[in-house]
Amino acid sequence: MFNYTFHWHQALRALPDMLWGALVTIEVAVLSMVLGIAFAVLLAVARMSANRLAYGAATTWIEVARNTPALFQIYMAHFGLGSFGIHLSPWWALLAGITFNNAGYLAETFRGALRAIPPTQTRAARSLGMGPLRAFWSVVMPQMFRISFPPMTNQMVWAILMTSLGLTVGLATDLAGVTQELNVRTFRTFEFFALAAVLYYLIAKAVMLGARLIAWRLFRY
Amino acid sequence: MKKIYFATASLAALLATGAAQADKLDDIIASGTLRCAVVLDFPPMGSRDADNNPVGFDVDYCNDLAAALGVTPEYVETPFPDRIPALVSGRADVGVASTSDTLERAKTIGFSIPYFAFTNVVLTREGAGVDNFEGMSGHVVGSVAGTFEGIKLEENIKAWGAGEFRPYQSQADVFLALSQGQIDATVVTSTVASAIVASGQYEGLKIAGDAPYPIDYVSLISLREEQGLINYLNLFVNQQVRSGRYQELYDKWVGGTAPGLTIDGVYR
Repeated sequence: MFNYTFHWHQALRALPDMLWGALVTIEVAVLSMVLGIAFAVLLAVARMSANRLAYGAATTWIEVARNTPALFQIYMAHFGLGSFGIHLSPWWALLAGITFNNAGYLAETFRGALRAIPPTQTRAARSLGMGPLRAFWSVVMPQMFRISFPPMTNQMVWAILMTSLGLTVGLATDLAGVTQELNVRTFRTFEFFALAAVLYYLIAKAVMLGARLIAWRLFRY
Repeated sequence: MKKIYFATASLAALLATGAAQADKLDDIIASGTLRCAVVLDFPPMGSRDADNNPVGFDVDYCNDLAAALGVTPEYVETPFPDRIPALVSGRADVGVASTSDTLERAKTIGFSIPYFAFTNVVLTREGAGVDNFEGMSGHVVGSVAGTFEGIKLEENIKAWGAGEFRPYQSQADVFLALSQGQIDATVVTSTVASAIVASGQYEGLKIAGDAPYPIDYVSLISLREEQGLINYLNLFVNQQVRSGRYQELYDKWVGGTAPGLTIDGVYR
């Protein structure tokens, strides 16, 4: 094995700092998910609309979000916009980058779900006197969320893990940032990163559990 | 038959223990290559030339060390935060990477005697409103995560209670952030600051006086328990100064009189 003696004591002493970092991680992930879902619904609808401008804009967003690394998207939100004089702080750049990514992926998930809902339902709703927005909001959208809920949970976990990319734009307060800060100060790389990995794992598991509870509450027939 | 197996097994075990006693220094000489961890976005210590080849003070220093050992040098490029993981995971044998010899780090890795010394200056942008070291109070500043000056600067910002510190992962990102206006100032070693201002790569950068930090002595690094290798590195650094090679390399990459590597009034 490699030549390394583990100093767990030193790592465990830093645990409170890392837990505060984990809170920032969860905060960014949840916000990026909420915003991402909102944008994704708009994108999915735009992608299926006959309006060429809306279709083109949504397609570009989705293509870039899904086919370039998240690292690139976050880096561009900070340094890319920065070169045009638009300065997002590391926290905002990270949130913007992940939201952009989430929206792109979720839009395709939603589009798939929308395709699975028979168009006769919309027609039935319209024939009952509902307007087009009302029909979408009350009849189609709840079913869309029900169908796409498992992939949404997946994206949520992915969002949590993506927050670690905040490092590249100088974010020091999230779990990865705090960990890297401790690492470069003490060079106890393996202890701190192992601890961070455990925390990421626990956060992801907690989210899965939470999602299961929500699904059980919201989506039972 | 069983006896032969047993004899073979014991012989193998004996050879294995014999091999395990060879230390890192033996391994380097036996393998014929010296793998140096170098940082290549930190001119003039390490950077890449127009043909993308590693050049700089640290690269030459690694070449000298390999020549002294009678082996071929090999460069393992590592960003600042990855120098130690590179050593611990066995990707590199020695770090020739301007590593400040802090006590906190010495708990994890082994340091040679200092092979170079830096002083720090404030680097800022025209019109950012930072005129000197104290002028950074209340501004957004940044540096490379975990460097000597980065750690000091973060402490200063905390002590002033005004402003924000952003740790970036590489020196290149810090300069980019500074030139774009994401941060207003940084503290870097004087050699790097002069090199980057002289290069004209980023417009409008200027040096705004010295940072009142102690002299930043940097050492060669290796695994903490490789005393044999560290011993060799110490003698190597000593010989570089004695032979005039240190001054020669300093002239080549920085210019002027090379800074002294001893501290008055104390042994090392």
